[in-house]
Amino acid sequence: MKHKVCMASDFFYPNMGGVEEHIFNLSQCLLMKGYKVIVLTHSYKDRVGIRYMTNGLKVYYLPIKPFYNQCVLPSMVSSLPLIRYVLLREQITIIHGHSAFSTLAHETMMIGRLLGIQTVFTDHSLFGFADTSAIITNKFLEMSLADCNHCICVSHIGKENTVLRARVNHHRVSVIPNAVDTTAFVPKLELRTKDKITIVVVSRLVYRKGVDLLAQIIADVCLRNQKVQFIIGGDGPKRELLEDIRSNLNLGEQVNLLGSLEHSQVCNVLNRGHIFLNTSLTEAYCMAIVEAASCGLKIVSTRVGGIPEVLPPELIILTEPNVPSILQGLYKAINQVSSELGVPPIECHQKVQSLYNWMNIARRTEIVYNMVSLEPPKSLGKQLRSYISTGVYPFLLVVSFMHILLKILDWWIPRSDIDLAKDYKAENYQVNSNTSVSENQ
Amino acid sequence: MFLLNYYHPLMSCMTDVQNSKCRASNKHNGPDNGVIKSSHHYTKISKYQNGVIRNGHLKPWKKNLYSNEGYPDNYTDKSFLEELRKNLHVRKLTLLEAILGAGLITQRLCIVVIFALSFYALNCNQISPLFLLISTSSFSFMSYLLLYENSKIIPLWLLKSACAFVISGYILSPVLKTLTETISTDTIYATATVMMCVHLIFFDYGVSAVIVSTSLSLNAALFGSICLCSRLQTAFHVFVFITIAVQCFAVSPILLSPIKSSISILLSFVTVTLVLCTRVSSLLSGLFLCTAVFINLICPYYFVKWHSYKDNIYGPWDEAIVQDIKIKDFHID
Repeated sequence: MKHKVCMASDFFYPNMGGVEEHIFNLSQCLLMKGYKVIVLTHSYKDRVGIRYMTNGLKVYYLPIKPFYNQCVLPSMVSSLPLIRYVLLREQITIIHGHSAFSTLAHETMMIGRLLGIQTVFTDHSLFGFADTSAIITNKFLEMSLADCNHCICVSHIGKENTVLRARVNHHRVSVIPNAVDTTAFVPKLELRTKDKITIVVVSRLVYRKGVDLLAQIIADVCLRNQKVQFIIGGDGPKRELLEDIRSNLNLGEQVNLLGSLEHSQVCNVLNRGHIFLNTSLTEAYCMAIVEAASCGLKIVSTRVGGIPEVLPPELIILTEPNVPSILQGLYKAINQVSSELGVPPIECHQKVQSLYNWMNIARRTEIVYNMVSLEPPKSLGKQLRSYISTGVYPFLLVVSFMHILLKILDWWIPRSDIDLAKDYKAENYQVNSNTSVSENQ
Repeated sequence: MFLLNYYHPLMSCMTDVQNSKCRASNKHNGPDNGVIKSSHHYTKISKYQNGVIRNGHLKPWKKNLYSNEGYPDNYTDKSFLEELRKNLHVRKLTLLEAILGAGLITQRLCIVVIFALSFYALNCNQISPLFLLISTSSFSFMSYLLLYENSKIIPLWLLKSACAFVISGYILSPVLKTLTETISTDTIYATATVMMCVHLIFFDYGVSAVIVSTSLSLNAALFGSICLCSRLQTAFHVFVFITIAVQCFAVSPILLSPIKSSISILLSFVTVTLVLCTRVSSLLSGLFLCTAVFINLICPYYFVKWHSYKDNIYGPWDEAIVQDIKIKDFHID
């Protein structure tokens, strides 16, 4: 049986990041396998309506304005008619929500459950338990996942975290990592500088990515070692800090701040370096280090979250998240580069290629879809009962109200009145794995 | 155990439904006993898949994302939640420590009650204002000399500010007396009560909490006392009352800060306040005693008792804390 999958998330192209890439690549692979895939997201400025991307990936940019942090306001009611219409029109059989922060994903999954559609949820982030905001967010996640059929996490740490914070049975949580397009990230040794050792950093310049650590490391390494230069890609509120360091210490020649990068540029930036440095303070999977390893760079990274699980120990130098430890790791990597020790770039690329590819990820996601689609439909009573365990009783009222609204809509706009969308038929599926985007409509 | 765990993922959806009951009970137990429940869980599964259990050569499971071929994606290993840590930074308090901590609140409450009693005494003409002024001022002065005996000489700035306060307070007291005269007495009493509560809530008891605000607590108390001023009879009464207010709310925290909280100080505070209370009303003194017992005995008792329910979870998913950032040192280089 070929499922009709709806990927729902607030985060999608033209935004760029781990979640966006995951949705796009997974959708492409599922399309190649003959599934029907649509993406549901909110509008981005003037990008409203239906767009088609590579290989006929249909994207619905719903006319809902983002409200906070790129997310829509989860009113549960106001966008219900529209989401119901889309789901029925596309005859969706599985809803796949992405990212715990995405309110649109949770809302669509909730509506889908009430329409009798099976749901799968992928969690891309880690969360603590200590502060008030974490406690509230975790409660919301618990409410949302109480009736979700299956969860996917991108690392084993992510699974432990999700099981703890959303109180889902560990049996309903699968670990399926991200992958990397190894055909796009290939080593190009001719781009590397011969006389200098280049350290590349590509990340958003925010606190969580450890930019404060990075600033001190740059100062220390550059002053001690004139033959080392830094290339930093990405933008964010902490960029000023790096600029201050650069101007105060006169490191203009050694530190190159590129600003935000297009995803297509990342590969060329990575290939200019010998070492990739990641100073994240928390990370569920960290795609950047896999991309860099695929380009054959030496990886130095902090040992946080899911990072130790991602790469085999010969490809990565793990350090503690403090300055002395990272410096130690970095000097080890510099020594390896200057004396040409360690795994050579081409081998490194082949190794990553053997470990991660999107087709494998899609195959494993397919198993989850098959599993979920065999589950019997739940009655409203059973659904409501599964929310009771969260202890937030008013939420039962919200769900019931949504159910009543759906019943009213069934009478007002009957299912038989909704035009069914024709499936996109491509003449020849091209195995096109780069992230080029075509917009037909 | 490993062999039992190996089953075709497709089978799991059937067992998932079977296990929904088991899941519901697990939820109440909390997620931390996930490891225990897994054994129970998987033995159940084996019933449904005779023949699916293979005695193949599975490598032991490793916690990484690339080398676990043959294991289903929703496999949960024995090592699940192994790195979970609980209550790392919790300091267990003894009952005595808790009582002494609560004693700081009682101490503050006593001062507020004494202040209110002084208003009552002035308002009902039970005591001469001059006597009250001399007695309280000399008490403060004596305790200053006792507590700061190292600094034999009173610093000049202190004398200066004391003089400035006395002169300006004396000049301004007629103004303060008429300031809120038109407001009804009920409103005045209600405002003063609320302001004293605000003072008690936001006072700096030595705990670094977000709610603590020394300036708010001081200003609220002074605002409350200025409200009360207008009910007094003469400007001299007002001057005396303001002097007491400043001693209670501005001077006393500084005077009391070097003394460590101890049972004897606490008892003496409560006794003095109680004796003063009984001279006014027996109901009031009864209420005061109940409050003091509640704050000082019952609350600390339950605080210590309920400590065992504390359940802070820590693990590898927590955000690392950035330490030793000293980029400024590099600026000097």
